[in-house]
Amino acid sequence: MTDIQADLARPLALARVPTAARQRSTFTVQPWLYLAPALCLLMMWTYVPLVEAFQLSFYQWNMLPTSPQRYVGLTNYQRLFALPEMRAALWNTLFYILGLFPMSVIIPLFVAIWTQDLEGRARTIYRALIFVPMIVAPVVAAILWRWLLNEDQGLITLGLETTGLGRIGFLTDPKYALATLTWITGWKLIGFSTLLFSAANAGINPSYIEAARIDGASRWGIIRDIRLPLLSPTILLLSMMTILFGAQWSFAYINVLTNGGPLKSTTNIFYLLWEYGFQTMSAGWSSAAGMIAFAGFAVIAAGCMWLTKRFAVYDN
Amino acid sequence: MLRRTTLKLMATLTAASLLPLGASAEMPATIDKPVTISFYNYNLASAGIGSEATKELIAGFEKKFPNVKVETIAVPSNEIINRVQADIVAGKQPDVAQLTFRDLIFIASDLGGNALEDMVKPAELKDHLAGMIPKGLELGKVDGKTYGLAYTFSTPVLYYNGDLFKQAGLDPNNPPKTWADVNIAGKAIKEKTGKNGFFPGAYGPSDGTFVYQAIVMSNGGKVRDGNKLAFADKNAAEAVRMLRDMVDSGAHAKIDPASGSDTFAAGNLGMFVYTTATLGAYKKAAQGKFDLRIAPMPSFGEKPTAPTNSGSALFVFSKDPAKQRAAYELLKYLTSKEAYTIITSKIGYLPLRLDIVDDANYLGPWVKENPMFRANLEQLNRLTANVAFPGPNYRQVEKMMMDSVREAVFGKGDPIATLKAAQDQGQELMP
Repeated sequence: MTDIQADLARPLALARVPTAARQRSTFTVQPWLYLAPALCLLMMWTYVPLVEAFQLSFYQWNMLPTSPQRYVGLTNYQRLFALPEMRAALWNTLFYILGLFPMSVIIPLFVAIWTQDLEGRARTIYRALIFVPMIVAPVVAAILWRWLLNEDQGLITLGLETTGLGRIGFLTDPKYALATLTWITGWKLIGFSTLLFSAANAGINPSYIEAARIDGASRWGIIRDIRLPLLSPTILLLSMMTILFGAQWSFAYINVLTNGGPLKSTTNIFYLLWEYGFQTMSAGWSSAAGMIAFAGFAVIAAGCMWLTKRFAVYDN
Repeated sequence: MLRRTTLKLMATLTAASLLPLGASAEMPATIDKPVTISFYNYNLASAGIGSEATKELIAGFEKKFPNVKVETIAVPSNEIINRVQADIVAGKQPDVAQLTFRDLIFIASDLGGNALEDMVKPAELKDHLAGMIPKGLELGKVDGKTYGLAYTFSTPVLYYNGDLFKQAGLDPNNPPKTWADVNIAGKAIKEKTGKNGFFPGAYGPSDGTFVYQAIVMSNGGKVRDGNKLAFADKNAAEAVRMLRDMVDSGAHAKIDPASGSDTFAAGNLGMFVYTTATLGAYKKAAQGKFDLRIAPMPSFGEKPTAPTNSGSALFVFSKDPAKQRAAYELLKYLTSKEAYTIITSKIGYLPLRLDIVDDANYLGPWVKENPMFRANLEQLNRLTANVAFPGPNYRQVEKMMMDSVREAVFGKGDPIATLKAAQDQGQELMP
């Protein structure tokens, strides 16, 4: 996203620099010095671990410095692909992402557009209410939901029982658990996305809308032809974030509420690799699972970037 | 300047690398100088009774040995081994740790735990171990050497809710003795009261494997035989099928595996098979709310039950002789008659010194007041070791096994085929 804006800010100034002048500029230390802290952090926290994880994925090791790392070739990958829980985790990851979409993109988009027309205090109160779930700590939120959904005493379960729907094991029945966790993750996200959409929406130049109104555009027409196109960079950004990080955001809730169960129905690739690494202390499996996730998401991220470049509309 | 620093650094490094050699020096007979030892403990990480009693024990020890300061590190039981490992990796040498038996082999072979026989003079060790239950001591041994000194121990018992029994038309004075009885009682409770019938504390993330293994071994099964996994073999698999049949009949509840204990404490579960370590907590929860009862764990027909120990042993990791002495004194104190009086009466673990049970100076009065605790004591005679898994992948094998048990009990497929598939996969990870 920032890349693209930089692209747009740059072109004219750069194009005018004559070729000779560009060749004259030699290597200087200064810019590298400015970049050094960021580069160091990036190397230390991202690229070095990435390379190490890649290496570890070919070894069998229980993370103890005193025990040897045994080279096992591609065995870790073969085992992972043979495991039914890996397949289940990948499908669940997809489900989390698809399930989060309405709550991280569609609902917030319309809430933001609709609340734009509200006046004064009503708008503030309405937005504050939507934003509250976001500032509740994940573990606290998870525990609140556990109480609400408890099969014996939970308010929601008891409420549903009085309406004649019977008791539903939201967290204990494999049929519902995944949907429940997706909902909890999404519920936490609505506020964040609404905030971003509201900010983008408020940033739209009001003169466009005035002009459209003078020309007799309907309310829906304004949304369709002015607001939505101008919100497209934010829509694409949030879609990309949901696809790339959505399943990760569910980690805290999986860990607190279900530990991946019942019957692995709520586990996803991120929870699985954490379990391999830090519960069963198998660095090799964990790294291999991490590499699979990395490769998959790298491809998807590239696709998303291309889509953003292709479809986003900027108002410059 | 730079050279001097390098030299200094090298000298320090050499000294550090020599340290392990120094560790083979004999530990002193007394503690003359002030010393601080670390103690990783999971009872401290629990809320309430377990933590209070442990603090009381440590205060008592520090009073007796004013030279020793015990720095406690509280970690929940399912994470404590990871924490000890992480601290060793980070170069922070733990001194004493309360760890569970499932990690025994790993501690001895990989984590560098000290064998008491290598650390303490034979006569001194023999002196202290006299009077402790031999079967208990046996559980902490690897290749004939004691790495873990049996500390807090309990066996699974059948907790039951007397009020729910009455409401379901059952006799609370005649608790279920076999699994067939449990099935009948569980169905009755479910149908007549609408509450949950039966649940074992066997599937949750912090439950380990002891309840599951106790059920399997009571049916003559075993989870492994040498380096061969055996949890899908006949008797072991039949035990799991029995649980599945109870799920199908409705006697076995289908609740969140992590919530069995809370559900029972809240009075919403008729029967719960779990460690006696939670007795104190249930007594508090049941007070004035429901009639808490205890019975020995159910059996498979006439077969004798195999109550498997849950609980922990104390492990010493210290390399420095002075610290080793302090650590050993802490071990001695925590497994003394005085300590077991506190541990049993306040937390609910078994006393590993049976001579204190009827001694008026120790547990005598308490056992008289709490006759139901005898169910636990009686099972001590049949105490069966919890089987730990060997090799670098032991945790993964254990996880595969427990995952397949959950799938077999609560899933839709054939329970035995589910176990078999997991056993074949797990076998590849065995040494």
